[in-house]
Amino acid sequence: MSSNENRKEISHIRNFSIIAHIDHGKSTLSDRLIQLCGGLSDRELKEQVLDSMDIERERGITIKAQSVTLDYQAEDGNTYQLNFIDTPGHVDFSYEVSRSLYACEGALLVVDAAQGVEAQSVANCYTAVEQGLEVLPVLNKMDLPQADPDKVAQEIEEIIGLDATDACQVSAKSGLGMEALLERLVRDIPPPRGNPDGQLQALIIDSWFDNYLGVVSLVRIFDGTLKKGEKIRIKSTGRDWQANEVGIFTPLRKETGVLRAGEVGFIVAGIKDIHGAPVGDTITHAKTPDVERLPGFQKVKPQVYAGMFPVSADDYEDFRDALEKLALNDASLEYEPENSDALGFGFRVGFLGTLHMEIIQERLEREYDLDLLTTAPTVVYELAMKNGEVRYVSNPSKLPDMADVEEMREPIVRASILVPQEFVGNVIAECENRRGTQLDMQFLGSQIQLTYELPMSEVVMDFFDRLKSISKGYASLEYNFERFEAAKLVRLDVLINGDRVDALAVIIHRDHAHSRGRILVEKMKELIPRQMFDVAIQAAIGGQVVARSTVKALRKNVTAKCYGGDVSRKKKLLEKQKAGKKRMKQVGRVEIPQDAFLAVLKVND
Amino acid sequence: MNRPLPPLSLYLHVPWCVRKCPYCDFNSHGVGAGASLPEDDYLVALLADLEAELPLVAGRELVSVFIGGGTPSLMSADFYRRFLARLEEALPWAADIEITLEANPGTFEQARFAAYREVGINRLSLGVQSFQDAQLQALGRIHGGLEAERAVREARAAGFDNLNIDLMHGLPGQSPALALDDIDRALALSPSHLSWYQLTLEPNTEFHSRPPVLPEEEALWAIQDAGHERLEAAGLARYEISAYAHPGRQARHNLNYWRFGDYLGIGAGAHGKLSRETPQDGGLIIERRWKSRQPEAYLRRREDPRGFVAGHRRIEAEELPLEFAMNALRLTEGVPMALWEAHSGLSRATLEARLARARHLGLLVEDDSRLQATPQGLLFLNELLASLEE
Repeated sequence: MSSNENRKEISHIRNFSIIAHIDHGKSTLSDRLIQLCGGLSDRELKEQVLDSMDIERERGITIKAQSVTLDYQAEDGNTYQLNFIDTPGHVDFSYEVSRSLYACEGALLVVDAAQGVEAQSVANCYTAVEQGLEVLPVLNKMDLPQADPDKVAQEIEEIIGLDATDACQVSAKSGLGMEALLERLVRDIPPPRGNPDGQLQALIIDSWFDNYLGVVSLVRIFDGTLKKGEKIRIKSTGRDWQANEVGIFTPLRKETGVLRAGEVGFIVAGIKDIHGAPVGDTITHAKTPDVERLPGFQKVKPQVYAGMFPVSADDYEDFRDALEKLALNDASLEYEPENSDALGFGFRVGFLGTLHMEIIQERLEREYDLDLLTTAPTVVYELAMKNGEVRYVSNPSKLPDMADVEEMREPIVRASILVPQEFVGNVIAECENRRGTQLDMQFLGSQIQLTYELPMSEVVMDFFDRLKSISKGYASLEYNFERFEAAKLVRLDVLINGDRVDALAVIIHRDHAHSRGRILVEKMKELIPRQMFDVAIQAAIGGQVVARSTVKALRKNVTAKCYGGDVSRKKKLLEKQKAGKKRMKQVGRVEIPQDAFLAVLKVND
Repeated sequence: MNRPLPPLSLYLHVPWCVRKCPYCDFNSHGVGAGASLPEDDYLVALLADLEAELPLVAGRELVSVFIGGGTPSLMSADFYRRFLARLEEALPWAADIEITLEANPGTFEQARFAAYREVGINRLSLGVQSFQDAQLQALGRIHGGLEAERAVREARAAGFDNLNIDLMHGLPGQSPALALDDIDRALALSPSHLSWYQLTLEPNTEFHSRPPVLPEEEALWAIQDAGHERLEAAGLARYEISAYAHPGRQARHNLNYWRFGDYLGIGAGAHGKLSRETPQDGGLIIERRWKSRQPEAYLRRREDPRGFVAGHRRIEAEELPLEFAMNALRLTEGVPMALWEAHSGLSRATLEARLARARHLGLLVEDDSRLQATPQGLLFLNELLASLEE
């Protein structure tokens, strides 16, 4: 504990983040930093310790911000406290990045020396620069034979406008250049400002729920000193709590009993619900309630909504409990009950993007053992009603009577795509196909930066995956909501034997409705098994049918020979049939397999 | 005993064939033409098997015996004479007991028909399947069409007026015309009973692993429609999914299966179902039991302290509605509801509770006193049965 008593002078603290695109080696770099500073013994150093959720590790991405405090013995003889705050690297989670950056004075821009700059990094880098951070360019993967540091350095200068002539050249994997990087970090990133003796002003960077501790908050102290046992106040709620535990992450949680101005660490105060310690809120002492609130963060709004339904109605309660638990750790997750005629009771869930949706679905299925059906994701539409009212709709089946709607508007995003020249044709074609409008095209080294306005609905579905696949993985994307814009939107309904299936409705552009309807009914026809009667599948806009197909009735379904003596085989057959039916959803008299509901997700225009 | 138990039948299995047919998923083992079978050993085993089962059915009247296979006509009449003699000592026989033997309509067997009749077998079931040589060949049968016709005449001459012809349809390469020709040739022989099965490719058969090309669905439907009409017109009324008979000539043994009666299963791989009264409440304990399957293993079981039984399992109350319906609903007339109570030992309400959905779907006749499928229900019996489980 001696090092804790002997706290660093504020001038010997460095708070920094790493900005990097997925796959550019951020996790390896983090691990290497931790190892060099002795934060973990080799035994403890599991690979990529900062990505602690299983799914993070499997998908190789970071979802939640985390931090680690390291001691670095610099060449000048001083020991520096390095607080490294991790940032997520996927476009769905960009808001988390700005949160992390807010707690830092500097950032390392890590770029794969073999691949070059990607759009997500550009956007995050701009955010960092806007927030007044010192950004150090780092060229990673220098051990690779195809590493081209000069070219990539030039790209950094051209695309981001950052001087990269003396960028650190490292290989996190081999350890090459890492010492030099640490020295540069200490030299170039300014120390935090703040007064340890001032009134406590701390920013909640992140809060999460721990089964044993309750809410744990990651905080950056801007002013003052926070000690264990003190009474603290959460500014937004006005509630007071006792700081039961105060400390740092090494990256393991370690109690130090105190956090001073400039430092980053955790606080546990017996709060049972993350809404009791909202991200972006300010913490002060109960005795200094008038301390000003820090600017905090904009609340993130979900951009994509989807209905989620338990396959078995018996699981509804478990599903609700699981969502509650997930929401404890994910302030961006929104949900409310939804009742579908076809799928029964479930929830309408809001996500940051489709990756966020996939991750939530996967966690629900894996960690909570739920079998779920998810309907097609929808963005939020703005409806100008004839009576002057403005409404927002995120569920196709909840669209009001179109006779009352003056105008329907869809969200438009401004998307920035970085792509090597050879794939630019593919990307432009894809953007045009998705109703994009080109705003700008710039040649930046060997890459091209395309700026497009695109309907958000076209972007959230599978645009990112598609971009990756048409550019051999090189294209990168960053986008932001721009505005709502009037569009010729319609609701495409699917009718099964005349019954509208609410869970299959989608809102799409009128020009795409017919082709989409045709593909959808054909796909459904393949997936709905033949039944005792003809099953008519129709796609319709309003009252008008735009596509239809029929699943012909079976003539019969009976076992010709039933050997009276041994019924076991016949019973097995019936049990198989029964198990199959259990996985079906009943719409009117028609049994529809789950796959058919998923088909609507997989229809590409 | 204060409640009547269901009627009792006996099934006897002969597990050998000259050649296993590619569509057959029964417990049959091809031995090649002219192979000598362990007739004596098998008889000794069967008698020991029977002896061990007798305490379970002591004093109960036997209403039918069915000798199936395999190819039971590979065994001599004397083999059956000895078995039946012991059986008649062991259990009281109903005055009108039906004793059926399955026979292959080959030349070799025809010579034995008279002897079979003489030892007390009073019903013959001939596995004709088709009269077309091409189809018979595709089915792997070892007899020809003319031979089959002669076999039927021989059987009648031997005194078998109670006679079934097994016929299949929907065969590889079979047109509706050919299928109807099979029916006409069968009808010309005036059988008292005709089993008319659509060929289905069962798992664990040669046809399943190497499926032949079967007629298109529309052709199958045409065959079924026209064939049914022709059989009914000839006075053979359908009384089960695939069974047609002259009045009074329904297979009693099979009826007992379909009415959820009891039966002993004797021989390799034979399955039995037996009910007994619970000592406490007058309910029923219904058990299925089955015998060692491989002929050699079955024969060895004579010296085995475990006896011939390979397994047994009580049918639990919640399984009974499905087991009962699986059988009873195959009958075009269904069964009276009272039969459920008598043969399951459970109340009417336990079955009734399951029927609502099937009635709603129009698959069950709306009659509280009967359990009977509608014509649609007979076509979609699998759906009907599944609906009982929902």
